[in-house]
Amino acid sequence: MNEVSLLHGFLTIGALLFGIGLIGFLSRRNMIVMFLAVEMMIQGVSVSFVAWGRYHNNWDGQVMVIVMLAVAACEAAIAMALILMVFERSGKLDIAVHQRYREDNQPEYVDRDLPPPEDKAQVWPNLTPAGVEPEHDPEETAYRSHV
Amino acid sequence: MSSESLLYAAATVLGAVGMWLLLPRPGERLRWGGAAMSVVALGLILSQISPLGDMLSQSMFVVLGSVTVIAAAAAVTFRNPVYCAIWFAMMLLGTAGLFLLQGAHFLGVATIVVYAGAILVTLLFVLMLANPRGNAPYDRLSWEGPLSATAGIVLVGMLTMTLSSVLKSPTLADDLPSALLTAQAVGSGNSDTEQAAARNGGQDILSEHHSASLGGRMFSAHLVSIEVAGVLLFAALVGAVAIIAHSRSVRSDKQTLAGKQAMQTPSTNGRAGA
Repeated sequence: MNEVSLLHGFLTIGALLFGIGLIGFLSRRNMIVMFLAVEMMIQGVSVSFVAWGRYHNNWDGQVMVIVMLAVAACEAAIAMALILMVFERSGKLDIAVHQRYREDNQPEYVDRDLPPPEDKAQVWPNLTPAGVEPEHDPEETAYRSHV
Repeated sequence: MSSESLLYAAATVLGAVGMWLLLPRPGERLRWGGAAMSVVALGLILSQISPLGDMLSQSMFVVLGSVTVIAAAAAVTFRNPVYCAIWFAMMLLGTAGLFLLQGAHFLGVATIVVYAGAILVTLLFVLMLANPRGNAPYDRLSWEGPLSATAGIVLVGMLTMTLSSVLKSPTLADDLPSALLTAQAVGSGNSDTEQAAARNGGQDILSEHHSASLGGRMFSAHLVSIEVAGVLLFAALVGAVAIIAHSRSVRSDKQTLAGKQAMQTPSTNGRAGA
């Protein structure tokens, strides 16, 4: 196998992942999607590390990626706790909630052209039902909240 | 200006416009056009990589790489955060496949277990706990779509152009690092593999005992970093529990305070306890 073009290909994929993650981090407003974009940038760097490790026939690249996995897991735990706390206080996952920490002389950011509210209800991903539907217990369905 | 730079410039422009059209914005017209332009840009960039020389590896690489990059683009551009998370899982599967293709078996499995298994499920839990009703307006807007798409894609364009000009230069083949020659000897099943590995400080990344060698390297040369990672995990665990417990205690304090006030003045505000 041509090792140089293998390195070239993997570094290209790593650069693409990093760039797309950067776009997501800069442009998206949902805090969870911003977090996903950061993880995507980390994945891009991991791909590059593994490629360089292969090129130099050296384990250190892979060991570095394992350490990055551990750090990413820590980061996910802390970030999710903070996002949940902010959500409990403000009721939004919007990053613009944090503009209340701006300097006193800065103007407030106001959404200019809001998209019109969508008519159709939000479609959630679901699984195709299979088999025979069992009989429902009316008492049980009365207590279950609508999900 | 050579034809190669022109090609990268075209890919950058196409990719930037395509990503801008794909990002959430009011109106949402021409999204399919944006997807088509981004795919063309991806094809242009991937077409500049010289073939791997092995038909099977080449097709595996192209399929896995395209799946990874397209899933990544979908993960940052979909409006519904649940779909974003699912596309992110698809991207992780692609990355795990790329790791396997590189011979990093342990990392391929660890990526799926840690990222797709733990981090992504935590994320979906938070999404379900938060459960914002309907399509929130902030999911259908983006900060400065054209500018951020241009920033990201120009970074990609510069990186890939530099990579291609450095790695495709003919002089590189003459001064390959000795480690690379070792890898080629290992890859071709050469009989003096052990000699080659010995020349490289005893490291042989394509050895049959992959996990054993990786673990040996990890717990000898990198013992301190592994211990630090362990301490960090423990600190993160304590920190996350402390953050949640603190927010709970603040909230319950507020509730008891509000409840007392509501009991003292029952007629003024009935919703104070809510």
